[in-house]
Amino acid sequence: MKRFLMVLLICMMVGALNIPLVGAITEKQEKAIVGNCSGIKEQLKTLQKDDARTRVHLGGRYETILTKFMTPLNMRLLENNMSSAELVENQNDFADAKNLFNNDYINYQQGLEELASIDCKNEPAAFYEKLDKVRQKRKTVQQDVLKLRSLISKHVRLVTELRSKV
Amino acid sequence: MEENKQTKEKMNRGRWNLVILGVAATVIAAVTTGVSLVIYHNSGDIYLDRSRPGFLPDEEEIEEETEDDEEFSFSKTGPIDLTVLEEYLKELQIEVEAIDANEKPFEEKVLSDESFGIPKQEE
Repeated sequence: MKRFLMVLLICMMVGALNIPLVGAITEKQEKAIVGNCSGIKEQLKTLQKDDARTRVHLGGRYETILTKFMTPLNMRLLENNMSSAELVENQNDFADAKNLFNNDYINYQQGLEELASIDCKNEPAAFYEKLDKVRQKRKTVQQDVLKLRSLISKHVRLVTELRSKV
Repeated sequence: MEENKQTKEKMNRGRWNLVILGVAATVIAAVTTGVSLVIYHNSGDIYLDRSRPGFLPDEEEIEEETEDDEEFSFSKTGPIDLTVLEEYLKELQIEVEAIDANEKPFEEKVLSDESFGIPKQEE
């Protein structure tokens, strides 16, 4: 009973103070989405194309760094009895981060595809809710890219250190 | 007379078999194509396929790609010395620069309310 009264009180406060609930859409936002629906759809299409370009470009470079730089270097170091645990660990971390990036990108694109398929003219609230979720997924991909970049920097630093020891 | 009847029956059966074969082949082709498309979609390959309509690379992009055709590959065998490591770092730097050429990849701004002309909640 106490819990029920508490919930009721919160609901009344939210209503009285007109506090927007997290993720809830306001009337102004709804109008803007409905009014600019076709423009938003166009933007999403362009975004899908741009993202595919970035993904293919970055993915290709990551693959090159892993298979044509990191892996052969560690094998060659091993052959010369100069194997570095840090370099091997970094290579493994890079491979894991690359796989995560691939999966997170697919996840994000699936979300973006679902978002683009929502009829924003008739379902602005559903569209906005999905948009928020897709933003989170895009953020995850962005974090993956930053992680991969930092691992590349670490690799460069480790090889530079190795060079000074040779 | 009986022979004619038997021949006709055989021909009819043959026609039916041909129809069944045609239908079966079409069904098998449709099912395998459907399964392939599901795999193509669910594996995420669809998102990397830039030969799709609307996803084709721009002309300038194709030119860029053909320009840097020669790819370096570090050898798995051989000695390790200063020259080798210097060349390695030099070639690696080319890849790093190519990665850094993508300004703020997957930045959040493009999906923001402002970019879609949606007013902020507090407005």
